[in-house]
Amino acid sequence: MIGSVCAAVVVVAAVAVQLVLPGQSVYHAGWYNVALCGAVIVSLIAGRRELRRVKAPRVRWATIGILFGTAIVGFSGVLSGLFAPDNQTVVGAPGERIHVESLGTLSFPLASIGTSATSVSLERPLYGKVEVGERRSDAGSFILRAVQRNVAWVEARDPRGNRLTVTQPAGAAFLSPVLLMEHRQTIAGMELPFDSFNVPAARRVVKAVLFTPAQAAALAHGLGSSGDAAVLLAVDDEKERPLPNAIALSTGGKAVTVGGLSLRAVVTQYPAVEVVAAPNLVATVLGGLLVVGGILALVIRPVLSTGDDRSNVSQDDAALGKLDPSRR
Amino acid sequence: MSRYVIWAIAAVALVVAVIVLEPFFPSQKASPAGPAGLAGEAAPVFTLRDDRGRPVSLDRYRGRIVLMNLWASWCPPCRAEMPDLQRLADSYDDAAIAIVGVNEGESASRAQSFAESLRIRFPIWVDASQRYGRTYAALGLPTTVILDRRGVVVRGYDGPLTFDQMRAAVASVVQTH
Repeated sequence: MIGSVCAAVVVVAAVAVQLVLPGQSVYHAGWYNVALCGAVIVSLIAGRRELRRVKAPRVRWATIGILFGTAIVGFSGVLSGLFAPDNQTVVGAPGERIHVESLGTLSFPLASIGTSATSVSLERPLYGKVEVGERRSDAGSFILRAVQRNVAWVEARDPRGNRLTVTQPAGAAFLSPVLLMEHRQTIAGMELPFDSFNVPAARRVVKAVLFTPAQAAALAHGLGSSGDAAVLLAVDDEKERPLPNAIALSTGGKAVTVGGLSLRAVVTQYPAVEVVAAPNLVATVLGGLLVVGGILALVIRPVLSTGDDRSNVSQDDAALGKLDPSRR
Repeated sequence: MSRYVIWAIAAVALVVAVIVLEPFFPSQKASPAGPAGLAGEAAPVFTLRDDRGRPVSLDRYRGRIVLMNLWASWCPPCRAEMPDLQRLADSYDDAAIAIVGVNEGESASRAQSFAESLRIRFPIWVDASQRYGRTYAALGLPTTVILDRRGVVVRGYDGPLTFDQMRAAVASVVQTH
């Protein structure tokens, strides 16, 4: 019996660790999952042998609970380890709704320049709507957390000050003045977030590169770093041919005039959602409770059966001597 | 072990298997991209200003079918579509159907002068921060969204519509909602 219980404890502990520290690559490793399967098989074989041997209903039910719980927890852990998708960060523009396969729909909050948003809504069929904030949220076989990313809000005006529409034909949200900065570009040896947008009314394409305050300070002195995050704006014509003298650095939300446009960029933070696969919480808790309940049922009765009651301990309980502290 | 216990264990095992396996067999039903994907959902509502600076909101149109057209003055198909939208507005009673043009990302003065140049009389709203465009999943301009009397999105169209297409779309909503 002791072999079955020990293997069950190992399985439950391993899968609990997957829940507590999700997203580690080791959970997807072949050796890890083979080891987890091995522990489940050891528990099942040893438990089945015990079931054949014992007759007392309490011990039989406790053993069945342990076996069943181990199978559930192990199945849940191995399935997550072998088949669950890799970790991903879902990035969306304000107001955008993104469907994530196997999870549900993430609705990104509306926000504007000067307002902050920290959480994203997750809508799942049958489960309703939950807010995903900076603290982890369990959603079935996934664990979610909102993380803040640097984004840039941009505004384009013509020389008379009329506001112009900003579009992102290559972006996730076509009509978005929010640059999510999902691409990378190397400038002066620095790996920098990069994005672009169109100003169709002025027939211009604008490329934007985001600099942190430190990177902006490290850049050439002539660009005049002010200690704020900065956005380098380069204006091309509609066929993406660079225009002369059409590069400028926008810092602190100040407007710059380049390529016939007055451009303003404000660097701020906006949430993205980290999605990490994990063993199913309901199944793991259910299985874990069965294992714990089974172990308690095996241990508590012999412990209570001391002194005068010792004579009442059945022959089957005697077989559990290794689990009974009173008999050591 | 009695037969009932075995059946109970099998049932619990089945339920657990369904719970654990469910994420690995996602629904094959894919929602359409763009504004059509919002069909059946409550239309998000924000307060904007119209081209004369007055606060406006979709809430005030509850009880009426609303055809909302997202446009910009630089967009040639939007320009071509506007007179047909006005013709459609003229052909329906205002109390039953409201047609609203939502300018995306431009100034009120630009939106107003554009509307005046085309003799547009239906309400023109100014969405400078382009929130309607993002929320209604516009893939481009123009984008047209039809809401029923309860403020639920019934249909969404990406790209320009002819007058006959507009009329057919509105007529089908009038009949069914």
